[in-house]
Order: sequence, then C-alpha cells, then structure tokens
Amino acid sequence: MGRDRRAVLGYPSSADAGRRLSASPWLRYARFVLAAWNPSQPEISDLIIQHDPATLERLPVRKNDVRSIFANLGNRKAIRVIDALPERDGFLDPAEIDRLFVVVHSEMQRLAEEFYHGGRVWELLQAVIAAIRATGVVANFDRLRVVDIGCGIGYTVRWLAARTPLAAQGVDLVGMDLNSVLIREATRLARAENLPCRFVHGDAFSPANSGHIYLSTGVLHHFRGNDLANFFCRHELHETQAFLYYDFQPSFLAGPGSWFFHVIRMRTALARHDGVLSAVRVHSAKTLVDAARAASPGFASGIYGRKIWRTPLPRVFHTLVGIRRPLIPEFRRALGHRVGRLDELA
Amino acid sequence: MTLLALYFLATLDGAFCGFRAFAGRSALIHKRKYYRRAMLRGAISAQVVSFLSLGVLLVAVALSSQRSELRGDLEAAAGRMLWIFLPYAAAVLFPLSLRALPSTDIRAATSVMVLGPLTGLRPFVMIAGVFYGVWSSQLLETKLLGIFILGAMLSLETWLNRVAAQQQQRDLASASC
Repeated sequence: MGRDRRAVLGYPSSADAGRRLSASPWLRYARFVLAAWNPSQPEISDLIIQHDPATLERLPVRKNDVRSIFANLGNRKAIRVIDALPERDGFLDPAEIDRLFVVVHSEMQRLAEEFYHGGRVWELLQAVIAAIRATGVVANFDRLRVVDIGCGIGYTVRWLAARTPLAAQGVDLVGMDLNSVLIREATRLARAENLPCRFVHGDAFSPANSGHIYLSTGVLHHFRGNDLANFFCRHELHETQAFLYYDFQPSFLAGPGSWFFHVIRMRTALARHDGVLSAVRVHSAKTLVDAARAASPGFASGIYGRKIWRTPLPRVFHTLVGIRRPLIPEFRRALGHRVGRLDELA
Repeated sequence: MTLLALYFLATLDGAFCGFRAFAGRSALIHKRKYYRRAMLRGAISAQVVSFLSLGVLLVAVALSSQRSELRGDLEAAAGRMLWIFLPYAAAVLFPLSLRALPSTDIRAATSVMVLGPLTGLRPFVMIAGVFYGVWSSQLLETKLLGIFILGAMLSLETWLNRVAAQQQQRDLASASC
C-alpha cells in the first residue's frame, strides 16, 4: 500500500530508488573502482607471468584461468585489463606480455623517481655500510655485496651505481629477479649508461648469489600468509648482516591517494590496477615486524620512517630494517640526527 | 603586454606538457638531456599553437568591420584570463622551487600533494580561464577565438603523448633487436 501511495504521489519507491542509485554512473564507477581495491585478491601481474619455482623456466598461462580468478571476485576493472591482453590459442602471448612488463616497469620507475626513492635507500644503506665498516664484521669489505631482491628493471641498483661512491669502494651492487625479461632490460639499461652493477636471474638466497645486505622495494606485500615468514627465514645466512625493505605504508590516505596518483601519472591499465591494489594490500608495520622477529631471530628488526618529521602525517613508504645486533650502536651513530625516525630494534 | 604574458604562459605550459608526455618512457638514470629535449619539444609545439592562434587572430582582425573594438575586446578578454592563469602558474612554480631544498620528504610531497593534483586540474583551469575571459566579451569573434585557442592548447598534450608513445615503441623495438 505504502509503495502504491508513494508511486501515485510521484515519489520513487525504495526499490525504484535503489534501481536509480545503482543506475547512477557515480555509484557504478565507485563499485567498479572499489572491487579493484579488495586487498584479498592478487595483483594481475602476479598471475600473468608464471615461472617454475625449481628451474625458473617460464610457464604458459591460460588467459581464462586468470580471468576467472577476478570474475569470482567481481573485479570488472581487472577483467577489462585481462581481456585486453594479447593471447595466442587461449594462452597469453609471452612476447607481448614481456613487452608490456617493460613498459609498466618504466612507468613504475617514474613513480620511484618522483618519490626520490634512490635517495631514501641511500640514506639508510650508507648508515648500514658505515656500521659494517666500523665493526669489521665483514672480513673482505671490498667484496661487500648489496642485493636488491625483486629488482625489476633495476632502478635502485642502477641509481646507487650512478649516484653514489659504492661501486668505486668495491661494493658489488647486484639486482635479482625471477623475471628474466626484466633482468635482461635492467642489464641493457646498465650497459647503456656504463654503470658498475650487475643483474642476475635467480634466487637471491642461493649460496652463489647471497648478499651481505638485502634490499627490496614494494616486494614484501607480494608475500602473503606463511610465505612472509618463509621469506624472512631465508635471511639466516652466515654472511648476511642486514636487510632494508621498503614498501608503501598502510594509512587512510594510501588507497585514495594511490588511486589519484595512478590516474594522473600512469598510462597502462595494468599499472593503474596493480599500483592501486599494491597500496591497499600492503602489510602493517606490526605484521612486518612480528614476522621478521619471529622468523629471523638473528636480526634485530624495527620500522624506520613512519612519519614525516614529527608530524602525524604518514610517509608514503616505510622501511623494515633488520640488522645484526653487534652493528646496532654504530648503525644508530651513523644515522645521526635521523635516528629519531627509527623505532625500537628488537 | 597582456598577450605577451599569455604567450609566455602557453610556452611554459607546453614545456611542462612535453615533460609529462615523455616522463615514464625512458628508464635510464641520467635523463637530463632526455627531459631537456622533451621540454623543448613541448615548448616548440606551444609556439606552433601560439603562432597558429596569432594567425587566426590577425585574419579575424583584418576581416572585422570593427577592428579597434575587436582589438580592445581581445585585450580585455586576455586580461581576464590572466586572473585565472597567473595564480595557477604561481601554484605550479612555487612547489617546483621547493624542490631545491635538500629534503626527500619535501621534494616528494611537492609531487604527491601539489603537482599531481594541479596536473589533474589543468584542463579544468584552462576551460575556466578561457570561459572567464570570453564570457563578458562583446564580440562573437573574441569568443570564437578563445574557444579555438582552448581546443588547440588542450589537444597539445594529447598530441605530445602520441609522439612520445611512438618514440617509446621505436626504442623498445630497437632494444629488442
């Protein structure tokens, strides 16, 4: 009766209102966007390139398999991205996907440049190296090896090689990734500028490739559940002295800020989708610190750089620092006035 | 003087369009030369737009039966546009000057909190500036000329993006050879 009366009077019924709301382009767009922000889903780039974990050989990926994962999650934005990916006989075309990855990683490098990421890494890395040098824990300092895990096209390593005296001091700057195409591109770029660094397709924790200092940028959030603990377990190598892992810091600004930034700056649909999803999938500082302390007890771990100066504003990136305990006093001394940005190391 | 100020702002806008169109397409570390060329391309493209606009303006003045009124009307419209464009230019240039400070946080904040949003606002600012300029103009020629310049400046970045994308494809193809 109520419905009829409202209809007679010209008011929309609740059902009509619902229909109108769902028909509203703004609401449709909001649903479209928000489904892509569901942190429980994987990133598209995690799925469209697959490697055999033992041999690192590239595996064929069926397009429909990837599509159905996002269809089940109702993520139409991801489905659009996947539908546009080139295929051959139902499988994603590896050459085209490789090409797309190189383009996307070039766009991501722009983001790293805008965030002055090289400088952020150098700020902490030089303090760690100073502590190693002062304490003499590495016998042959001139063979110190810094390994960037999941380096992509190697921006951080190439920046360190180009802008710091590390290579001249004999520090071995190595970028590692499981994706051979990105490693090839990183090598090509380093050669083009004659940079003293190298890139290796392989496992960063294998005896042949292990490092004294490990770095990574935007990699930790790819490890979910037990994989995060397993990742930290692998740091308990005799020669490893420290790790510095940079990732987006979760905050109320991360999702919308990242969305806006990607809409303005990124061109490829894949980068826009995965970039925003990365920002909402990131682990909290507590998750990271708890996982590192539990799985890598040989290191004292803590977070560096949560806030911008002493304001309540969160920094876009925070850093999980893990360091051998004998190095802590020298590390803190080498940080100088920046030591206030470092949380407790335990 | 007013037209000269608009010309200078158009050149500056073109240079920034060139920078944005080519940014994120080269993954080298040393890119000063690359960006200098990109900005030069943008600035030269803005000259093409400016001189094309000047040509249309001169034709309009030559064909007009009210030459002195049209000239006055155009100058008045251009003067009103500056009320929008000059504060916007200042809002872009001030944070850029802050990048000289040796603080990673300040430098990054200029990108995230100021330059990014201002880039997003650029088309709206251009539309607002031109419409504010021509809204109270007396002659139809002034309004049409304003809309012509608006269209040309808005399509500048699209065109530069197309050029930059083609160059990127060529670079990728030669790298994979």
